[in-house]
Amino acid sequence: MSYAGLAVEREGPVGWLIFDRPKVGNAMDAAMLADLPKAWRELDEDPSVRVIVNTGNGPSFQTGLDVRQLAKDKDALREQSRRTKRAELLITAWHNKVATPVIAAVNGTCAGGGLHFVADADIVIAASDAVFCDPHVSVGQVSAFELIGLARRAAFEPTARMGLIGRHEKLPAERARQLGIVSEVVPPAELRDTARSLAGKIALNPPDEVRHIKQLLWRALEDPA
Amino acid sequence: MSDTSYKTLKLERRGPVGWLLFNRPEALNAMNAAMREELAGAWLELDNDPDVRVIVHTGEGRAFQTGVDVAELASDGVGMERYRESMENWDLHFTAWHQKVAKPVITAVNGICAGGGFHWVADADVVIAADDAQFFDPHVSVGQVVAPEAIGLLRKMPFEAVMRMALVGRHERMPASRARELGMISEVVPAAELRTRAQELAETIAKNSPAAMAATKRALWGALESGLTEACRQGAKEVVSVWGHPDQDEGPRAWAEKREPKWAEPAKHDGAAR
Repeated sequence: MSYAGLAVEREGPVGWLIFDRPKVGNAMDAAMLADLPKAWRELDEDPSVRVIVNTGNGPSFQTGLDVRQLAKDKDALREQSRRTKRAELLITAWHNKVATPVIAAVNGTCAGGGLHFVADADIVIAASDAVFCDPHVSVGQVSAFELIGLARRAAFEPTARMGLIGRHEKLPAERARQLGIVSEVVPPAELRDTARSLAGKIALNPPDEVRHIKQLLWRALEDPA
Repeated sequence: MSDTSYKTLKLERRGPVGWLLFNRPEALNAMNAAMREELAGAWLELDNDPDVRVIVHTGEGRAFQTGVDVAELASDGVGMERYRESMENWDLHFTAWHQKVAKPVITAVNGICAGGGFHWVADADVVIAADDAQFFDPHVSVGQVVAPEAIGLLRKMPFEAVMRMALVGRHERMPASRARELGMISEVVPAAELRTRAQELAETIAKNSPAAMAATKRALWGALESGLTEACRQGAKEVVSVWGHPDQDEGPRAWAEKREPKWAEPAKHDGAAR
Protein backbone atom coordinates (compact mmCIF):
# COMPACT_ATOMS: atom_id res chain seq x y z
CA MET A 1 0.00 0.00 0.00
CA SER A 2 1.10 3.58 -0.43
CA TYR A 3 0.85 6.21 2.23
CA ALA A 4 0.90 10.01 2.33
CA GLY A 5 4.31 11.37 3.24
CA LEU A 6 5.65 7.93 4.15
CA ALA A 7 7.62 5.35 2.20
CA VAL A 8 7.02 1.78 3.35
CA GLU A 9 9.39 -0.85 1.99
CA ARG A 10 10.40 -4.47 2.57
CA GLU A 11 13.88 -5.83 2.35
CA GLY A 12 14.35 -9.38 3.62
CA PRO A 13 13.33 -9.43 7.29
CA VAL A 14 13.39 -5.63 7.51
CA GLY A 15 10.38 -3.38 7.13
CA TRP A 16 11.28 0.23 6.45
CA LEU A 17 9.06 3.09 7.57
CA ILE A 18 10.57 6.23 6.06
CA PHE A 19 9.39 9.80 6.60
CA ASP A 20 9.16 11.20 3.10
CA ARG A 21 8.42 14.92 3.14
CA PRO A 22 12.04 16.06 2.86
CA LYS A 23 11.19 19.58 1.66
CA VAL A 24 9.49 20.39 4.98
CA GLY A 25 11.84 18.56 7.34
CA ASN A 26 9.53 15.51 7.18
CA ALA A 27 7.03 17.41 9.34
CA MET A 28 3.75 15.61 9.99
CA ASP A 29 0.80 17.06 8.10
CA ALA A 30 -2.80 15.87 8.40
CA ALA A 31 -2.35 13.17 5.76
CA MET A 32 0.79 11.74 7.37
CA LEU A 33 -0.85 11.81 10.80
CA ALA A 34 -3.76 9.83 9.39
CA ASP A 35 -1.52 7.30 7.67
CA LEU A 36 1.07 6.64 10.38
CA PRO A 37 -1.14 4.16 12.30
CA LYS A 38 -1.91 2.27 9.06
CA ALA A 39 1.75 2.05 8.08
CA TRP A 40 2.84 0.80 11.52
CA ARG A 41 0.02 -1.76 11.49
CA GLU A 42 0.83 -3.04 8.00
CA LEU A 43 4.47 -3.70 8.92
CA ASP A 44 3.63 -5.09 12.38
CA GLU A 45 1.10 -7.54 10.96
CA ASP A 46 3.39 -8.80 8.19
CA PRO A 47 4.96 -12.08 9.42
CA SER A 48 7.93 -11.66 7.09
CA VAL A 49 8.88 -8.41 8.84
CA ARG A 50 11.01 -9.23 11.89
CA VAL A 51 12.32 -5.73 12.59
CA ILE A 52 11.06 -2.27 11.62
CA VAL A 53 13.53 0.50 10.83
CA ASN A 54 12.20 4.07 11.07
CA THR A 55 14.21 6.78 9.32
CA GLY A 56 13.76 9.86 7.13
CA ASN A 57 14.55 11.03 3.63
CA GLY A 58 16.54 14.24 3.25
CA PRO A 59 18.52 16.27 5.79
CA SER A 60 15.98 15.89 8.62
CA PHE A 61 14.72 12.88 10.51
CA GLN A 62 11.54 14.44 11.81
CA THR A 63 10.65 17.97 12.95
CA GLY A 64 7.21 17.49 14.50
CA LEU A 65 3.81 18.78 13.46
CA ASP A 66 3.51 20.68 10.18
CA VAL A 67 1.90 23.64 11.91
CA ARG A 68 1.51 25.60 8.68
CA GLN A 69 -0.50 22.87 6.96
CA LEU A 70 -2.52 22.03 10.07
CA ALA A 71 -3.47 25.70 10.54
CA LYS A 72 -5.34 25.44 7.22
CA ASP A 73 -6.94 22.10 8.05
CA LYS A 74 -9.22 22.83 11.02
CA ASP A 75 -10.70 19.33 11.22
CA ALA A 76 -7.29 17.66 11.35
CA LEU A 77 -6.04 20.18 13.90
CA ARG A 78 -9.11 19.60 16.08
CA GLU A 79 -8.61 15.84 15.89
CA GLN A 80 -4.92 16.15 16.82
CA SER A 81 -5.82 18.51 19.70
CA ARG A 82 -8.40 16.04 20.96
CA ARG A 83 -5.85 13.21 20.93
CA THR A 84 -3.26 15.39 22.67
CA LYS A 85 -5.73 16.34 25.42
CA ARG A 86 -6.51 12.71 26.07
CA ALA A 87 -2.90 11.55 25.71
CA GLU A 88 -4.14 9.32 22.88
CA LEU A 89 -1.64 10.14 20.16
CA LEU A 90 -1.34 7.56 17.40
CA ILE A 91 1.90 8.54 15.71
CA THR A 92 4.64 6.27 17.12
CA ALA A 93 5.14 2.53 17.36
CA TRP A 94 4.48 2.67 21.11
CA HIS A 95 1.22 4.59 20.60
CA ASN A 96 0.16 1.97 18.05
CA LYS A 97 1.18 -0.97 20.27
CA VAL A 98 3.62 -2.33 17.69
CA ALA A 99 4.96 -5.69 18.88
CA THR A 100 7.81 -5.94 16.36
CA PRO A 101 11.17 -4.47 17.44
CA VAL A 102 11.67 -0.93 16.15
CA ILE A 103 15.00 0.72 15.35
CA ALA A 104 14.97 4.49 14.86
CA ALA A 105 17.81 5.55 12.56
CA VAL A 106 18.09 9.30 13.08
CA ASN A 107 19.41 10.69 9.80
CA GLY A 108 19.56 14.38 10.65
CA THR A 109 17.64 17.02 12.60
CA CYS A 110 15.27 15.58 15.16
CA ALA A 111 13.31 18.45 16.66
CA GLY A 112 10.28 18.88 18.89
CA GLY A 113 7.65 16.27 18.06
CA GLY A 114 10.37 14.33 16.22
CA LEU A 115 11.59 13.29 19.64
CA HIS A 116 8.47 11.12 19.98
CA PHE A 117 10.04 8.64 17.57
CA VAL A 118 13.26 8.50 19.59
CA ALA A 119 11.50 8.21 22.94
CA ASP A 120 9.19 5.48 21.64
CA ALA A 121 11.64 3.29 19.67
CA ASP A 122 13.32 0.22 21.12
CA ILE A 123 16.76 0.97 19.70
CA VAL A 124 18.09 4.28 18.40
CA ILE A 125 21.12 4.87 16.21
CA ALA A 126 22.12 8.14 14.58
CA ALA A 127 24.15 9.69 11.80
CA SER A 128 27.14 11.65 13.10
CA ASP A 129 25.58 14.92 11.88
CA ALA A 130 22.23 14.29 13.58
CA VAL A 131 21.13 16.81 16.22
CA PHE A 132 18.39 16.74 18.82
CA CYS A 133 16.48 19.74 20.17
CA ASP A 134 13.10 20.68 21.56
CA PRO A 135 11.99 24.19 20.55
CA HIS A 136 8.52 24.03 22.16
CA VAL A 137 9.07 26.58 24.96
CA SER A 138 10.70 29.02 22.50
CA VAL A 139 7.39 29.35 20.66
CA GLY A 140 5.19 29.37 23.75
CA GLN A 141 4.33 25.67 23.70
CA VAL A 142 4.67 23.09 26.45
CA SER A 143 6.73 19.97 25.92
CA ALA A 144 5.55 16.86 27.71
CA PHE A 145 5.20 13.38 26.18
CA GLU A 146 8.46 13.35 24.24
CA LEU A 147 10.55 14.45 27.20
CA ILE A 148 8.69 12.29 29.70
CA GLY A 149 9.51 9.31 27.51
CA LEU A 150 13.14 10.35 27.10
CA ALA A 151 13.62 10.98 30.81
CA ARG A 152 12.55 7.38 31.46
CA ARG A 153 15.25 5.95 29.24
CA ALA A 154 18.13 8.36 29.82
CA ALA A 155 19.34 10.77 32.48
CA PHE A 156 16.83 13.39 33.60
CA GLU A 157 19.00 16.50 33.75
CA PRO A 158 20.03 16.62 30.08
CA THR A 159 16.38 15.99 29.16
CA ALA A 160 15.13 18.83 31.36
CA ARG A 161 17.86 21.08 29.94
CA MET A 162 16.71 20.32 26.39
CA GLY A 163 13.13 21.11 27.38
CA LEU A 164 13.92 24.40 29.11
CA ILE A 165 16.54 25.79 26.71
CA GLY A 166 14.29 25.36 23.68
CA ARG A 167 15.61 26.27 20.26
CA HIS A 168 18.75 27.93 21.64
CA GLU A 169 20.83 24.75 21.94
CA LYS A 170 21.17 21.47 20.04
CA LEU A 171 22.34 18.16 21.44
CA PRO A 172 24.85 16.57 19.04
CA ALA A 173 24.67 12.87 18.14
CA GLU A 174 27.88 11.98 19.98
CA ARG A 175 26.65 13.49 23.25
CA ALA A 176 23.33 11.65 22.77
CA ARG A 177 25.34 8.44 22.49
CA GLN A 178 27.31 9.20 25.63
CA LEU A 179 24.05 9.78 27.51
CA GLY A 180 22.57 6.53 26.22
CA ILE A 181 19.79 8.24 24.23
CA VAL A 182 21.29 6.50 21.19
CA SER A 183 23.58 3.49 21.19
CA GLU A 184 25.58 3.98 18.01
CA VAL A 185 26.73 6.91 15.88
CA VAL A 186 27.93 6.26 12.32
CA PRO A 187 28.96 8.35 9.31
CA PRO A 188 25.81 9.62 7.53
CA ALA A 189 26.48 7.57 4.39
CA GLU A 190 26.59 4.36 6.44
CA LEU A 191 23.43 4.91 8.50
CA ARG A 192 21.05 2.73 6.52
CA ASP A 193 23.61 -0.06 6.09
CA THR A 194 24.23 -0.05 9.84
CA ALA A 195 20.49 -0.12 10.55
CA ARG A 196 20.00 -3.00 8.09
CA SER A 197 22.85 -4.98 9.63
CA LEU A 198 21.60 -4.39 13.19
CA ALA A 199 18.07 -5.38 12.17
CA GLY A 200 19.52 -8.53 10.57
CA LYS A 201 21.13 -9.52 13.88
CA ILE A 202 17.87 -9.07 15.79
CA ALA A 203 16.07 -11.05 13.08
CA LEU A 204 18.31 -14.04 13.88
CA ASN A 205 16.68 -14.32 17.31
CA PRO A 206 13.40 -16.19 17.86
CA PRO A 207 10.60 -13.70 17.04
CA ASP A 208 8.17 -14.73 19.77
CA GLU A 209 10.77 -14.37 22.51
CA VAL A 210 11.99 -11.07 21.10
CA ARG A 211 8.46 -9.67 21.14
CA HIS A 212 7.87 -11.00 24.63
CA ILE A 213 11.00 -9.34 26.00
CA LYS A 214 10.07 -6.08 24.32
CA GLN A 215 6.65 -6.18 25.96
CA LEU A 216 8.11 -6.95 29.39
CA LEU A 217 10.62 -4.11 29.27
CA TRP A 218 8.07 -1.52 28.15
CA ARG A 219 5.64 -2.69 30.80
CA ALA A 220 8.33 -2.09 33.43
CA LEU A 221 8.27 1.61 32.51
CA GLU A 222 4.68 1.70 33.76
CA ASP A 223 5.75 1.11 37.35
CA PRO A 224 5.90 4.35 39.29
CA ALA A 225 9.66 4.58 39.54
CA MET B 1 21.42 44.52 43.75
CA SER B 2 22.14 42.54 46.87
CA ASP B 3 19.76 41.65 49.64
CA THR B 4 21.40 41.98 53.05
CA SER B 5 18.65 40.47 55.18
CA TYR B 6 20.15 36.96 54.96
CA LYS B 7 23.02 35.88 57.23
CA THR B 8 23.96 32.55 55.64
CA LEU B 9 22.94 33.26 52.04
CA LYS B 10 23.33 35.98 49.44
CA LEU B 11 20.51 36.87 47.09
CA GLU B 12 21.31 38.93 44.03
CA ARG B 13 19.58 40.06 40.84
CA ARG B 14 21.48 40.30 37.58
CA GLY B 15 19.12 41.20 34.75
CA PRO B 16 16.47 38.49 34.46
CA VAL B 17 18.49 36.14 36.67
CA GLY B 18 18.07 35.71 40.41
CA TRP B 19 21.14 34.39 42.21
CA LEU B 20 21.03 32.36 45.39
CA LEU B 21 24.46 31.81 46.96
CA PHE B 22 25.43 29.74 49.97
CA ASN B 23 27.48 32.16 52.04
CA ARG B 24 29.31 30.31 54.79
CA PRO B 25 32.62 29.78 52.96
CA GLU B 26 34.53 29.47 56.25
CA ALA B 27 32.44 26.35 57.01
CA LEU B 28 32.51 25.02 53.41
CA ASN B 29 28.90 26.25 53.18
CA ALA B 30 27.70 23.57 55.58
CA MET B 31 24.00 23.95 56.32
CA ASN B 32 23.42 25.00 59.92
CA ALA B 33 19.97 25.48 61.40
CA ALA B 34 19.94 29.16 60.41
CA MET B 35 20.70 28.40 56.75
CA ARG B 36 18.08 25.69 56.67
CA GLU B 37 15.48 28.24 57.74
CA GLU B 38 16.70 31.03 55.48
CA LEU B 39 16.63 28.81 52.39
CA ALA B 40 12.87 28.30 52.67
CA GLY B 41 12.18 32.02 52.34
CA ALA B 42 14.95 32.70 49.83
CA TRP B 43 13.52 30.28 47.24
CA LEU B 44 10.05 31.81 47.56
CA GLU B 45 11.42 35.35 47.39
CA LEU B 46 13.13 34.67 44.06
CA ASP B 47 10.23 32.61 42.70
CA ASN B 48 7.78 35.43 43.49
CA ASP B 49 9.92 38.23 42.10
CA PRO B 50 8.42 39.10 38.69
CA ASP B 51 11.76 40.44 37.45
CA VAL B 52 13.42 37.04 37.98
CA ARG B 53 12.91 34.60 35.08
CA VAL B 54 15.55 32.01 35.92
CA ILE B 55 17.34 31.19 39.20
CA VAL B 56 21.04 30.32 39.49
CA HIS B 57 22.22 28.60 42.64
CA THR B 58 25.90 28.38 43.65
CA GLY B 59 28.24 28.79 46.63
CA GLU B 60 30.89 31.22 47.85
CA GLY B 61 34.39 29.88 48.42
CA ARG B 62 35.94 26.57 47.46
CA ALA B 63 32.97 24.36 48.31
CA PHE B 64 29.49 24.31 46.85
CA GLN B 65 27.87 22.65 49.82
CA THR B 66 28.96 20.01 52.32
CA GLY B 67 25.68 19.13 53.99
CA VAL B 68 24.55 19.47 57.56
CA ASP B 69 26.88 21.49 59.81
CA VAL B 70 28.53 18.76 61.87
CA ALA B 71 30.32 21.26 64.11
CA GLU B 72 26.97 22.70 65.16
CA LEU B 73 25.51 19.22 65.69
CA ALA B 74 28.43 18.28 67.93
CA SER B 75 28.26 21.43 70.05
CA ASP B 76 24.66 22.56 70.45
CA GLY B 77 23.52 19.73 72.73
CA VAL B 78 20.63 18.84 70.42
CA GLY B 79 22.38 17.19 67.46
CA MET B 80 20.34 15.58 64.68
CA GLU B 81 17.32 15.42 67.01
CA ARG B 82 16.65 19.01 65.99
CA TYR B 83 15.65 17.69 62.55
CA ARG B 84 13.81 14.52 63.59
CA GLU B 85 10.29 15.85 63.24
CA SER B 86 10.75 17.46 59.83
CA MET B 87 12.49 14.36 58.48
CA GLU B 88 9.95 11.89 59.88
CA ASN B 89 7.10 13.97 58.48
CA TRP B 90 8.92 14.52 55.18
CA ASP B 91 8.41 18.24 55.72
CA LEU B 92 11.56 19.79 54.25
CA HIS B 93 11.81 23.31 52.82
CA PHE B 94 15.38 23.92 51.78
CA THR B 95 15.49 23.03 48.05
CA ALA B 96 13.69 24.48 45.03
CA TRP B 97 11.79 21.20 44.65
CA HIS B 98 10.69 21.22 48.31
CA GLN B 99 9.43 24.78 47.80
CA LYS B 100 7.69 24.00 44.48
CA VAL B 101 9.62 26.70 42.66
CA ALA B 102 7.98 27.25 39.26
CA LYS B 103 10.93 28.95 37.55
CA PRO B 104 13.86 27.12 35.97
CA VAL B 105 16.67 26.51 38.47
CA ILE B 106 20.30 26.10 37.38
CA THR B 107 22.70 24.76 39.99
CA ALA B 108 26.31 25.79 39.36
CA VAL B 109 28.52 23.50 41.43
CA ASN B 110 31.60 25.58 42.27
CA GLY B 111 33.69 23.05 44.16
CA ILE B 112 33.16 20.28 46.68
CA CYS B 113 29.66 18.88 46.75
CA ALA B 114 29.42 16.38 49.59
CA GLY B 115 26.68 14.50 51.41
CA GLY B 116 23.64 16.70 51.87
CA GLY B 117 24.97 18.91 49.07
CA PHE B 118 23.39 16.38 46.68
CA HIS B 119 19.97 17.69 47.65
CA TRP B 120 20.54 20.71 45.41
CA VAL B 121 21.95 18.63 42.56
CA ALA B 122 19.04 16.18 42.69
CA ASP B 123 16.44 18.94 43.01
CA ALA B 124 17.63 21.37 40.30
CA ASP B 125 16.44 21.41 36.68
CA VAL B 126 19.84 22.04 35.09
CA VAL B 127 23.24 21.41 36.70
CA ILE B 128 26.62 22.65 35.51
CA ALA B 129 29.93 22.43 37.35
CA ALA B 130 33.41 23.89 37.57
CA ASP B 131 36.08 21.56 36.22
CA ASP B 132 37.53 21.17 39.73
CA ALA B 133 34.19 20.27 41.32
CA GLN B 134 34.09 16.93 43.15
CA PHE B 135 31.15 14.84 44.26
CA PHE B 136 31.09 12.37 47.16
CA ASP B 137 28.75 11.20 49.86
CA PRO B 138 30.41 10.58 53.25
CA HIS B 139 27.22 9.68 55.17
CA VAL B 140 28.04 6.01 55.75
CA SER B 141 31.62 6.85 56.70
CA VAL B 142 30.31 8.77 59.73
CA GLY B 143 27.55 6.32 60.62
CA GLN B 144 24.70 8.20 58.95
CA VAL B 145 22.17 7.00 56.40
CA VAL B 146 21.81 8.80 53.09
CA ALA B 147 18.29 8.69 51.74
CA PRO B 148 16.35 11.52 50.08
CA GLU B 149 19.22 13.05 48.15
CA ALA B 150 20.41 9.68 46.81
CA ILE B 151 16.86 8.59 46.00
CA GLY B 152 16.33 11.78 44.03
CA LEU B 153 19.47 11.10 42.04
CA LEU B 154 18.56 7.44 41.41
CA ARG B 155 15.49 8.58 39.51
CA LYS B 156 17.49 10.89 37.35
CA MET B 157 20.61 9.01 36.33
CA PRO B 158 22.11 5.51 36.16
CA PHE B 159 21.61 3.60 39.41
CA GLU B 160 25.03 2.04 39.84
CA ALA B 161 26.96 5.29 40.10
CA VAL B 162 24.68 6.62 42.83
CA MET B 163 24.79 3.39 44.81
CA ARG B 164 28.57 3.32 44.57
CA MET B 165 28.87 6.84 46.01
CA ALA B 166 26.43 5.97 48.80
CA LEU B 167 28.35 2.83 49.80
CA VAL B 168 31.94 3.99 49.28
CA GLY B 169 31.36 7.10 51.38
CA ARG B 170 34.22 9.50 51.91
CA HIS B 171 36.83 7.17 50.44
CA GLU B 172 36.31 8.13 46.80
CA ARG B 173 35.39 11.29 44.89
CA MET B 174 33.66 11.60 41.52
CA PRO B 175 35.17 14.25 39.27
CA ALA B 176 32.98 16.69 37.34
CA SER B 177 33.91 15.05 34.01
CA ARG B 178 32.47 11.69 35.14
CA ALA B 179 29.33 13.40 36.46
CA ARG B 180 28.83 14.86 32.99
CA GLU B 181 29.35 11.52 31.26
CA LEU B 182 26.63 10.04 33.46
CA GLY B 183 24.17 12.84 32.74
CA MET B 184 24.12 13.95 36.39
CA ILE B 185 25.24 17.33 35.06
CA SER B 186 25.24 18.65 31.51
CA GLU B 187 28.24 20.96 31.31
CA VAL B 188 31.72 21.39 32.80
CA VAL B 189 33.46 24.78 32.54
CA PRO B 190 36.79 26.17 33.74
CA ALA B 191 36.39 27.17 37.38
CA ALA B 192 37.10 30.85 36.74
CA GLU B 193 34.31 31.01 34.15
CA LEU B 194 31.58 29.20 36.07
CA ARG B 195 29.51 32.22 37.11
CA THR B 196 29.83 33.93 33.73
CA ARG B 197 28.66 30.78 32.00
CA ALA B 198 25.80 30.23 34.47
CA GLN B 199 24.58 33.80 33.90
CA GLU B 200 24.81 33.34 30.13
CA LEU B 201 22.95 30.02 30.23
CA ALA B 202 20.28 31.53 32.48
CA GLU B 203 19.82 34.50 30.13
CA THR B 204 19.43 32.06 27.21
CA ILE B 205 16.76 30.09 29.04
CA ALA B 206 15.10 33.38 30.06
CA LYS B 207 14.33 33.99 26.36
CA ASN B 208 11.70 31.23 26.40
CA SER B 209 8.06 31.54 27.41
CA PRO B 210 7.81 31.58 31.23
CA ALA B 211 4.34 30.03 31.14
CA ALA B 212 5.42 27.23 28.80
CA MET B 213 8.56 26.53 30.82
CA ALA B 214 6.64 26.34 34.11
CA ALA B 215 4.19 23.83 32.61
CA THR B 216 6.98 21.80 30.96
CA LYS B 217 8.77 21.69 34.31
CA ARG B 218 5.62 20.45 36.07
CA ALA B 219 5.09 17.76 33.42
CA LEU B 220 8.69 16.49 33.68
CA TRP B 221 8.96 16.50 37.47
CA GLY B 222 5.50 14.99 37.71
CA ALA B 223 6.72 12.13 35.52
CA LEU B 224 9.16 11.13 38.27
CA GLU B 225 6.14 10.33 40.44
CA SER B 226 4.31 7.86 38.19
CA GLY B 227 4.39 5.25 35.43
CA LEU B 228 4.92 6.17 31.79
CA THR B 229 1.31 6.16 30.59
CA GLU B 230 0.01 7.92 33.69
CA ALA B 231 2.78 10.51 33.39
CA CYS B 232 1.74 11.19 29.78
CA ARG B 233 -1.91 11.63 30.85
CA GLN B 234 -0.86 14.16 33.48
CA GLY B 235 1.53 15.73 30.96
CA ALA B 236 -1.38 16.24 28.54
CA LYS B 237 -3.02 18.53 31.09
CA GLU B 238 0.13 20.66 31.16
CA VAL B 239 0.30 20.82 27.35
CA VAL B 240 -3.31 21.94 27.15
CA SER B 241 -2.89 24.40 30.05
CA VAL B 242 -1.21 27.00 27.82
CA TRP B 243 -3.63 26.70 24.89
CA GLY B 244 -5.17 30.14 24.49
CA HIS B 245 -2.34 31.74 26.49
CA PRO B 246 -0.99 34.88 24.74
CA ASP B 247 2.49 33.32 24.47
CA GLN B 248 1.05 30.78 22.02
CA ASP B 249 0.38 33.55 19.49
CA GLU B 250 3.39 35.67 20.36
CA GLY B 251 5.92 32.83 19.86
CA PRO B 252 5.10 32.03 16.22
CA ARG B 253 4.54 35.75 15.40
CA ALA B 254 7.98 36.73 16.73
CA TRP B 255 9.47 33.82 14.80
CA ALA B 256 7.83 34.99 11.55
CA GLU B 257 8.89 38.59 12.19
CA LYS B 258 12.44 37.54 13.09
CA ARG B 259 12.48 39.26 16.49
CA GLU B 260 12.70 38.20 20.13
CA PRO B 261 9.27 37.33 21.55
CA LYS B 262 7.69 39.51 24.25
CA TRP B 263 6.25 36.97 26.67
CA ALA B 264 3.39 37.64 29.07
CA GLU B 265 4.43 38.38 32.65
CA PRO B 266 4.39 35.08 34.53
CA ALA B 267 1.57 34.76 37.04
CA LYS B 268 2.80 35.33 40.58
CA HIS B 269 2.32 32.29 42.69
CA ASP B 270 2.48 31.32 46.29
CA GLY B 271 4.75 28.29 46.53
CA ALA B 272 3.04 27.08 49.68
CA ALA B 273 -0.35 26.94 48.00
CA ARG B 274 0.62 24.65 45.14
